[in-house]
Amino acid sequence: MSAMFDLAELQGNILRGYTKKPHVRYLILEVADRSAARRWLASSVSGRGDGVPQITTGDWGPNKPDTCFNIGLTYEGLRALGTPSASLEMFPNEFVEGMTARALKLGDVGPSAPENWPAPFNEPKRIHLIATIYAEKVEQLNEVQERALYDREALTLLGTREGYNFPGDFVHFGYRDNITQPRFEEIHDPDRYPDRQPRAPLGTVLLGHPTNLEGLTWRVPLPAELGHNGTFNAFRVLKQDVAGFEEYLDRAASDLLKHPQVDELLQPGDEEKIGKGLSRRAALREIVAANLCGRWRDGTPLALSADAPDPKADLTDFDYVGVGDSRCPHGAHIRRCNPRGGQIVQRIANNSRRLVRRGVPYGPPYDPAKRDRDEPEPERGLLGNFIGASLGAQFEAMSCDWLNLGLQDPRITGSNDPISGANDPVTSWFDLPLKSGGTIRLRGLPRFVLTRGGAYTFLPSLSAIRFLGSL
Amino acid sequence: MPIPSDEGWIDRFVDRLPETRLFKLVASWILVPLWARLTPVKPLPGGPHPSFQHGDNVQCMMNLIMPLKDKSPVGRALAALAIAQNKEAIFAGLNNVGTVHFARFVIVGDNICMFSVYDGDFTNYIRDFIATIGSVFNAVVELVEGGEEVIPCEDNVEAFIQWVHERDLYQVPDTATDFLRDQEALNGDRAVSPVNDDLTLLPRKLVLQLRANPNVSLGSGYRAYPGFSVAQVRKHLGVGW
Ligand code: HEM
Repeated sequence: MSAMFDLAELQGNILRGYTKKPHVRYLILEVADRSAARRWLASSVSGRGDGVPQITTGDWGPNKPDTCFNIGLTYEGLRALGTPSASLEMFPNEFVEGMTARALKLGDVGPSAPENWPAPFNEPKRIHLIATIYAEKVEQLNEVQERALYDREALTLLGTREGYNFPGDFVHFGYRDNITQPRFEEIHDPDRYPDRQPRAPLGTVLLGHPTNLEGLTWRVPLPAELGHNGTFNAFRVLKQDVAGFEEYLDRAASDLLKHPQVDELLQPGDEEKIGKGLSRRAALREIVAANLCGRWRDGTPLALSADAPDPKADLTDFDYVGVGDSRCPHGAHIRRCNPRGGQIVQRIANNSRRLVRRGVPYGPPYDPAKRDRDEPEPERGLLGNFIGASLGAQFEAMSCDWLNLGLQDPRITGSNDPISGANDPVTSWFDLPLKSGGTIRLRGLPRFVLTRGGAYTFLPSLSAIRFLGSL
Repeated sequence: MPIPSDEGWIDRFVDRLPETRLFKLVASWILVPLWARLTPVKPLPGGPHPSFQHGDNVQCMMNLIMPLKDKSPVGRALAALAIAQNKEAIFAGLNNVGTVHFARFVIVGDNICMFSVYDGDFTNYIRDFIATIGSVFNAVVELVEGGEEVIPCEDNVEAFIQWVHERDLYQVPDTATDFLRDQEALNGDRAVSPVNDDLTLLPRKLVLQLRANPNVSLGSGYRAYPGFSVAQVRKHLGVGW
C-alpha cells in the first residue's frame, strides 16, 4: 500500500484490516491522571518497544508487526487529557454529545437503549480511551494488555471486549463478511480486485481532504496536527440472536411453502442449485437469508447471481444500475447500506455515505445441535467499527434515514433493515422480489441485533497523538 | 378544593395573573421579568421532537425565522430578489435532494422566514441541500443578521447546520404533559419550579417558556392523513421519484 502522503502518519487500522491477526481485544479505559496519561500517549509513539505498546501505523516497512495496537479517544477523553477548549469546540456535535445522546437516530431504543447497556458502557462519560489489540494468539493479547496497563497512574481499565475472526471471514448468522471496503483515490492498493464503484475520495475517511459531496469539506479541529488526517469511529457492541434468526428462517420457509407464488421464488427441482442435498424447505430458508442480506451466505452478491450462490461470481464487481427489481431486494442489508449507483431518493447521496468497516465476531459460534432450550444462549455478536470522516454525514445518515426509515426508496420507506434494524414483529415487513415483478411480503421479523454498548471515538493521527502527549 | 401546596406567595400570585386586566398589565411588564429572573428558563431546541416512529420522521416541519440585517423596504426587497433570482436553483435542489415536500419563503416583519416540510433527519436534509444548492443558502443567509459567520456554507457545513437548527422554531408539544417533558429534559427536573407536575400550573410555565422562546410553532403541524415520504407520494401519483 502506498499513498501520496505519509502512511506512517495514520493509524494502521484505518486503511488495513489486519486480516492475519484474528484475535482482537478492546480495552475500555479511563484517564486516571492527566499528566501520566499524556506521558502514556507520548510513549506510545516514541519508537521504543519496551514499555507502552507502540501505535501501529499505516506504514509497516519491511517487517510486519507481530501484534497491532491502535487507539481512539472519546470527547470526554480529549477533555480529560486537557485538550484546549478552542480545539474541543471545533469537534462536531455528534462526537461531542457522544453515542448515547444519539440513541434515537441510531435505533438504540427499547432493549437496545443505552439505559440497558452493561458496564462499562453504562457510564459513558467515564469512557475516555478505547485501545485495540490485534494478535494471532490470545497470549499475545495478554502480553500487550499488560504493557498497556503497566503504569496504573495513567489509565484505569473499565472493561474489555474480545472477539475472534472466524475462518473464512464468516460472522454469526453465517454470512461471509469483510468483503466490501471503500477504496481510495491517492492510495495504491496492491490487493487489486475489480470493483465497479468509483474510488472514494480520501475525505471519506480522513479529515482535511476532499469529500464525496462535491465542494464540501468537514471542519478540521485545530491545531492542524490535532485534526488533520484524523477520523471518527462508531464502535458498536452488537448482540446477535442467532437462534432467533434461524428460527425466523424456519418460519418464513414454512410460510412460503404454502404461498401460491412460491414456485416463482424456487422452481421445483432447483433445490440442488441452492445447496447440495437441500430439501425444498431448507433451500427456501437460504433464499430468504440471501434476500435479507443481499448476498448468499457464501458472499455471492444477489445482484450478480440472484438464483443461486455461485462460487465463480465476483464478490465486489457489481452495481445496482440496470439490475432489475427482481434480483436484489431494495430492502436487503447491503443495498440499504450502500445503494451504489442505483436510483435513490437522495440523488446526490449515492456513494457519499460510505464507511470503512472493521468488525470481529464475539462469543462462541452457534451450534444448533448443542442448543439447550432451557438454558439462555451465551451472548454472541459483532464488535463493529464504522469509520468515516463525518459521523453525522456517514454513520448516522446511514443508520437513521437508510437502515431504519428506508427513505432512499419509496418501496421500502417505513421498514427497518431486516438484519440490523430495530424491528418490531407486529409491524415489520420485508418484500421478496419475484421475477414477474411482484413481491411476496414477509412479516413478523423480530429484532435480531441488539446494541449492548459503544462509543464515538476520534482516531487521531500520529502527529495528533504526539500533540496530545506533549500538552 | 384547591390542592394544598408549599409554593410561595409569588407563585400563587403569578398563578392568578391571567385572570384580571390589571394583573395582566403588571404581570407582563414587571412580574414576569422578575419571576423569570428568579426562575431562569432556557430556550428549547427547535425542530420536531426526536422520535423513532416512522410516521414521525416523514413530513417534518422546519420553521426558520431569520432577522434581516437591513430592516427597511430596501432590505426586504433584496430578500425578495434573492429568492426570485434563485427560483430555478431551488427547483433543482428540491429534485436532487428528494426529501422536501414544500419549501416556502415568507417575509414577516423584518424577518425572512423559510418554512419547509421534509422527510428524515434534519441534518441530512440541510447537508444535502448545501451540497446541491449551497449558493442559494449563501445568497439568503448573507442578508441575515449573523449570517456572515457561517457562509460560504460549503466550507462551514457543521456550523451552518447548527446555525440553522438554532433558528428553527421550538415546536410546542400538542399535549400538556409533553410540554413538561421538554422543559424537564432540558433543565433537569427541578429547573422550572419545585412544584412541577401540577398541570393546573401549566399556563405559568408556558408564560416563562414563551418568554424564552418568543417565536414558536404550536404543535408540530397537523396532517389530514398519515405521513408519507415525498417519493411515496410521487410514486403513487405516477410522476416519477
Ligand atoms: C450485527 C449486525 C450486522 C451484521 C451481522 C452485518 C452483516 C453484514 C454482511 C454479511 C455484509 C456483507 C459483506 C460485505 O459486503 O462486506 C454487510 C455489509 C455492510 N454492512 Fe453490515 N452488518 C451488521 C450491521 C451493520 C450496521 C449497523 C451498519 C451501518 C450502520 C452496517 C453497514 C454495512 C455496510 C456499509 C456494508 C457494505 C455494503 C456494500 O458496500 O455493499 N452493517 N453487513
